[in-house]
Amino acid sequence: MSAAAIVNVEEKLFQNRYKVDHGRPHIRIKDAAVCANQCKEQSCTFVCPASCYKAEGNRSVTLITDGCLECGSCRVICTEHRNVAWEYPRGGYGILFKFG
Amino acid sequence: MNLTTREKFDAIVVGAGPSGNSAAFTMAKAGLKVLQIERGEYPGSKNVQGAILYADALERIIPDFRDDAPLERHIVEQRIWMLDDKSFVGTHYRSDDCDKPPYNRYTIIRAQFDKWFSAKVREAGAMLICETTVEELLMDGDRCIGVRCDRKGGEVYADVVVLADGVNSTLARKAGLHGEISAKNVALAVKEILFMPEEVIQQRFNVGEESGVVIEMMGTVTEGMVGTGFLYTNKESLTIGVGCMLSDFKSNPRRTAPYTLLENVKKHPGIAPLIAGGEMKEYCAHLIPEGGFHAVPKVYGHGWMIVGDSGGFVNAAHREGSNLAMTTGRLAAETVIAAKGAGKPMNAKTLAAYKAALDDSFVMKDLHKYRDMPQVLHSSPQFFTTYPSLVNRAAQTFFTVDGVDKKTKEKKILGSFRSARRLGGLVGDAFRMWRAFR
Repeated sequence: MSAAAIVNVEEKLFQNRYKVDHGRPHIRIKDAAVCANQCKEQSCTFVCPASCYKAEGNRSVTLITDGCLECGSCRVICTEHRNVAWEYPRGGYGILFKFG
Repeated sequence: MNLTTREKFDAIVVGAGPSGNSAAFTMAKAGLKVLQIERGEYPGSKNVQGAILYADALERIIPDFRDDAPLERHIVEQRIWMLDDKSFVGTHYRSDDCDKPPYNRYTIIRAQFDKWFSAKVREAGAMLICETTVEELLMDGDRCIGVRCDRKGGEVYADVVVLADGVNSTLARKAGLHGEISAKNVALAVKEILFMPEEVIQQRFNVGEESGVVIEMMGTVTEGMVGTGFLYTNKESLTIGVGCMLSDFKSNPRRTAPYTLLENVKKHPGIAPLIAGGEMKEYCAHLIPEGGFHAVPKVYGHGWMIVGDSGGFVNAAHREGSNLAMTTGRLAAETVIAAKGAGKPMNAKTLAAYKAALDDSFVMKDLHKYRDMPQVLHSSPQFFTTYPSLVNRAAQTFFTVDGVDKKTKEKKILGSFRSARRLGGLVGDAFRMWRAFR
């Protein structure tokens, strides 16, 4: 079992149903400079189960919430910097589990 | 529903999962004026669970639930597997008694089950509004008087607000009723649902048309993190998942993503043949509050109560959560009903009866019994990696016929345990495990 095996999470997320609230992401990085300059681990970039957080080449972290599973992990693990502003999506928006 | 009407409710329940539905049902059934608010398009659309339904907790709320609840399979066999990379050693418990009604536990699909439960809640007389997120509690000093929703004029008032808003407990946190969750106190679980013909499931798992199997697994597949995998049989689908402590995911030096871990579970040679050909239809993730007794916050105050995952009511050692959710929801509701009947104000003094009822029930008794378990497991990753490896190597040594005499084999096995954990470590592990389970 190789941990190096590349798993494409987009293929998994493609099976899910979402109602995206365009232009109104429910999670925000409060200060992008904190992620880039002060956070060494950037653990959100591998812990997020929907891979919403991406480590860019220039040490910045970008967030796209469209595939978010609304678990809350990113907020809970950002203990040192508390740099995640996390809300649930507006009523009716976000992930719509068919089976749950 | 028009929320601009300034009508006041006896109770507002935030959330339509097992705890919220139990609370709303029980109060509405007793004739209270109940408003339930759910952020999903329909009840269940935001909810994730393994999922096993324990009959007893629901039976105390809806005795005849078996008549029409969407149940997948009743469980006749429980398997616990210890995995290393290539093999597993398992214990299986199967009994004909589990195959006789009334059944004790079932697999369920939450989106369907929650819809059913919600219909019962509305039948009982509660008012439900969906697609509405509660943004914050309305506080008058330290007294909760209602909620503000993300609708125009979305302020609604009630004598008491029951917070059944799930593990993230957003509302209580924002109101300062408790702090942020610690990554050490929650597990992050991911899972997939894989569809296949029911005959295939019945053949592969050796079960009948209505009966099913639960497999819980631990071992090298979690890369030393504290966590377990699971495989459940539904009617015509399998649920496969893996969960580990969130703090372990964060500090795992291999920086493995949860979905990669799940793929590794699916590829394990003991599991791959069981799920082969399954068509993946959904991928979910969810946090499970596993901090236990010491992580339960204050769950009542002036005009508010916390139930279910929002209060951390999960018995991780026994993989029980939805039954605690239903029970806490019911006990909170019964507290409100009794207070209303006696004409008492919904203040902390009155609602303290909820905590007393919890303490007197299996909920707090079980959490108390396993209060040291989270700490023991955190400080003992060997239970999740070293021991499963040792047991599998021991089995291989023991079951390989290669001309080596049995006494030498036994010595080799004992030696492998001693060199991995030393005698003091073995005795200490056994003692700590015994203490935590006692």
